[in-house]
Amino acid sequence: MSEARAGMLLGAAVVLAGLFGPWVYHADPYAIHPAYALQAPSRHFPLGTDELGRDGLALLLAGGKATLVVSLPAAVLAFVTGLAYGLLAGLGPGWLDKVLMRLLDVVLALPSLVVLIFFASIVPLNNASLVLLLGFISWPGLARLVRNETRAQRGRDFMLAARQAGAGPFYIARVHVLRVVAPVLVVNATFLVGDTIFALSALSFLGLGLQPPQVSWGSLLQSALDIIALAPWWLIVPPGLMIFAALLAASLTGRGLLRR
Amino acid sequence: MKPVLEIRDLTVTLKRGGRDVPVLEHFNLSIVPGEMVALVGESGSGKTVAALSVLRLLPLGAKISGEIFLDGENIAQAGEARLRQLRGSVAGMVFQDPLAALNPSRTVASQIGEAWRVHKGGSVLAAREKAVELLGEVGIPDAAARADDFPHQFSGGMRQRVMIAMALACSPKLLIADEPTTGLDPVIARQILQLLARLRRELNLAVLFVTHDLSVVAEHADAVHVLYAGRSVEWGGAKTFFAQPRHPYSAALRGAVAWLGQARLAEIPGQLPEPEARPPGCRFAPRCDYAQADCAVEYPAPVERGTTAACLYPLRNAERAGSAGVEKVVQKFAPLLEVDGLALRFGKGLPVLENLSLVIGQGECLGIVGESGSGKSSLGKAVLQMLPYAGHVLLGGQDLGGLRGAKLRAARRRMQVVFQDPRESLNPRMKIGEIIAEPLHLAGVAKPEAMRRVKALLADVGLSAALMPVYPGSVSGGQAQRVAIARALAAEPELLVLDEPTSSLDVSTQALLLNLLRGIGAKRGLSCLLISHDFAVVSYLADRIAVLRGGRVIEVNETAALLANPREAYTKALIEAAPRLQS
Amino acid sequence: MLRRLLSSAVSIFLLVTLVFFMAHLTPGGPAFSILGQKATPESVAALNARLGLGAPLLKQYGIWWWHLLHGQLGYSYLLNRPVGALLWDYEVNTLVFYAIAICLSTMLAVLLGAAQGVWHGRWPAGVIGVFQLVFYATPPFFTAAILVLCFAVGLHWLPASGIGNPRLAHPGIGTFAAHLVLPVITVMLLTVPMLSRYFGEAVHEELGKDYVRTAQAKGVGFAGILFRHVMRNALRPLVTMLGLSFPYIFTGGVIVESVFNYPGLGWLLWRSALGRDYPVLIAIVLLIGLLTVLGNLLADLVNGWLDPRGQYE
Repeated sequence: MSEARAGMLLGAAVVLAGLFGPWVYHADPYAIHPAYALQAPSRHFPLGTDELGRDGLALLLAGGKATLVVSLPAAVLAFVTGLAYGLLAGLGPGWLDKVLMRLLDVVLALPSLVVLIFFASIVPLNNASLVLLLGFISWPGLARLVRNETRAQRGRDFMLAARQAGAGPFYIARVHVLRVVAPVLVVNATFLVGDTIFALSALSFLGLGLQPPQVSWGSLLQSALDIIALAPWWLIVPPGLMIFAALLAASLTGRGLLRR
Repeated sequence: MKPVLEIRDLTVTLKRGGRDVPVLEHFNLSIVPGEMVALVGESGSGKTVAALSVLRLLPLGAKISGEIFLDGENIAQAGEARLRQLRGSVAGMVFQDPLAALNPSRTVASQIGEAWRVHKGGSVLAAREKAVELLGEVGIPDAAARADDFPHQFSGGMRQRVMIAMALACSPKLLIADEPTTGLDPVIARQILQLLARLRRELNLAVLFVTHDLSVVAEHADAVHVLYAGRSVEWGGAKTFFAQPRHPYSAALRGAVAWLGQARLAEIPGQLPEPEARPPGCRFAPRCDYAQADCAVEYPAPVERGTTAACLYPLRNAERAGSAGVEKVVQKFAPLLEVDGLALRFGKGLPVLENLSLVIGQGECLGIVGESGSGKSSLGKAVLQMLPYAGHVLLGGQDLGGLRGAKLRAARRRMQVVFQDPRESLNPRMKIGEIIAEPLHLAGVAKPEAMRRVKALLADVGLSAALMPVYPGSVSGGQAQRVAIARALAAEPELLVLDEPTSSLDVSTQALLLNLLRGIGAKRGLSCLLISHDFAVVSYLADRIAVLRGGRVIEVNETAALLANPREAYTKALIEAAPRLQS
Repeated sequence: MLRRLLSSAVSIFLLVTLVFFMAHLTPGGPAFSILGQKATPESVAALNARLGLGAPLLKQYGIWWWHLLHGQLGYSYLLNRPVGALLWDYEVNTLVFYAIAICLSTMLAVLLGAAQGVWHGRWPAGVIGVFQLVFYATPPFFTAAILVLCFAVGLHWLPASGIGNPRLAHPGIGTFAAHLVLPVITVMLLTVPMLSRYFGEAVHEELGKDYVRTAQAKGVGFAGILFRHVMRNALRPLVTMLGLSFPYIFTGGVIVESVFNYPGLGWLLWRSALGRDYPVLIAIVLLIGLLTVLGNLLADLVNGWLDPRGQYE
């Protein structure tokens, strides 16, 4: 089985579990059962319970849904922004490219998590604001890539030949540049999904993402870490593995597609 | 005399997609001291594999059988430690593309010194002295001062001299040169050949010279050995060979080279078979005009008649292989393109073109010859309105200088271009049919009509309509270049700019393409601006030739007159560097 | 080189400007910086009222630069100290931690990458490849949690967290080192996969280049080819990568420092964000940006030395 196919299957499994898991496993993630606090996995609680006695599996599925509902739209937003910015710099006149790239350099000098943390401390945190925040902060890498690829294609002989045959700049951008750059775009869109899932999980882990009572994979890990002295491995491993699976899926798919 | 190198019945297989594929079979060769043997073949012939196996430098997964006697010792099965002792000391090697073959981050002296120290030991300082001495010997001016420079600080020719100095560091008895002049300007290539000839004389060095280009070795080689699809087809003394090749393939190869002043080029139809799909019997038989039914039965035994040829029906005297080319007709022309006082520079750099004026007549082919850096490609791009310039370019009396927008696009359409590298000039993600239809599509030709014309154009350039849904990545270089020509013709231009249209192609493909261009030019009454570093190619196609140097035209004349009577010393040097047959 | 320096200077200028506008977005605004050490929420409100919304942006911008150049970065009301001094303490901790982590990461990455490049296509490279794939996809907070679970909670070999501020508490070198083990391993598991894969590919690519065959034809042995020819050329992209990946490493650092309660810049950033301590946040963002620009400059300098052609951009 090729890397790309393995990645896509894994990714599909994660997305299905996250988005549709709550329909199959009906337990209420927010129901508190103090009598059953911190139980190891059993027939009754397949993934144990947390310190409040909430069902681990139900929490995991709810957390997945919350994570995906924010990070997937954010990835789309980042993709569109990065693509537009990169194309503008790559196809625009030289001075515009210089200005845009210089700005991008500065933005890229700031680690995205740092900028995220900064803005997360300013704006009210909810699904919509997090989508906007993640979307508008995750695009610079893609923008630079699109710009570099586009610049590298510019002035290639086949574009000169098309221009000689009477093609205008928009025709060349649409037919020649986009077609040649498309495979790179697909690969990096995949990586972008991984990036936003990671960023959201990291923010939530730091308490600056989705706010309680909403749970996410990142916040589940954080609350498990708070009571790590009690060694609740069943609260740490499942959310960690889910994030790992999502990132692995993105990275496998991207790498596999890159080799084509 | 005892041979320095003797190869007996060598067969080499390489790993390809998990299988062992034979790339060289039953190969025999011997070289005595002071002899230069030319190993000639087109790409895929196995010539480089033959050269690499002498020092056992083959890629991982290669298997060899047979015997390789290097200075009397059979190294075919020698261990890695012994091979290391022999490499560089008994035989040195020079590769194509010296910029890639030298380590970019070490000085040339340290790289040459390393070759010396590996075998002779000694201090770094002594090695540097040796390196300086060697650099002087291969003709690097001011060797002591240049020794600590890095490879990128040398010109192409000088870099190849550095490679030669490195190969000679431990005074080997044999020098293996793998395409040492490919990619160099003809004048520089000729200097490298002269250097090799001198070293061979002075050091009594045996030279194995590997090349795809017969013309390179015509002057200096003692013996010629021609490979085709992994088998030797003909070998023997160079004089005898060039006077009358016996094997139809080598004869066709000789005829396909654009020798200076040649009236017609021979063509070799068809393509080299893939190593996995080689025909039984004579490998050239499917492409051979002289092939009979029994040629396909088993590989022919070599027959000696002057040279030795592995052919059942070797050519007799005065027979020429390959079908005839197209004759050139000389005529007078009314002006189509006028270039007046053209000047061009990049940024604040030195001027690329200065006050350059030219005229191309209706239906005329004007050749532009010059070395790299002479500004010839920039001239083409300026004419095509791809680069900003000062001065005037008039097409059919209309000044193209101030045009903008739709008018500029319309003007551009009247001039089409064929670039050097068809891989670069065809969008890898568009089908061949789409590529040729693009100019039609842009001109607003309806789809069914466009499809009909694409088919006609494909036929015009000698390609099948079955290629329409194919991507350019899966056709050969020659076919791709035909597609590029078809696309250029689709716009129905008045002027065709050909920028080194054949220099990335094999000799036999080049001949086909030159004949095609000649035919198209004659049939359509098309004007051509042909840009090339190769005087022979230009003289084959052009009615007139302009010689470009340092951004200026230093000489223009009718082709025959220029060849017979060059005015400038530089023109003379270019003509002398062009391949020619001794009569 | 002068051009490179100049370009870094422009970057720094733009960075400061960008951060100024970011500061404008905070509830307090740059008034924090203007007031410097005396800033309290009340005085900030007073100043904002005095300057009003109509205060010329350009003037505020000028004051912002003035304070920056005088090292006045504002006052942390959460930790009750001037930001400049505060940052200095935490930055020292961070630099110690990063110096150790990056040195070890680079060494391990070079080792693994070289092995991977040399054995390309054979099983040792495959094993390294799987390691890279798995740990590249493992988020650092998960790695950290597992490490703590195993080595601190389970086996009691190493402390999980809470070194405190080593400059203030003067812990012994042994204690300090013990506290660093798990954080450093976490950072290494984050960076080594990326760096070693990058280096491995560079080594493999260099090994396939023509000059390697030339060296072989001279009679140079494999060790000579690897160490005298290939390594140096393959290090160049690794150095560039190191310079470029500083933000990436710092991202991991924030998480690692917060998991292990290691008092570095990342930890401070996190605490300040949770406590809405904007002067500190702004100062850290600025500092990280500056460090990144300088990191890239350093990488360029090293590369200029590694590659005589100077073909780096």
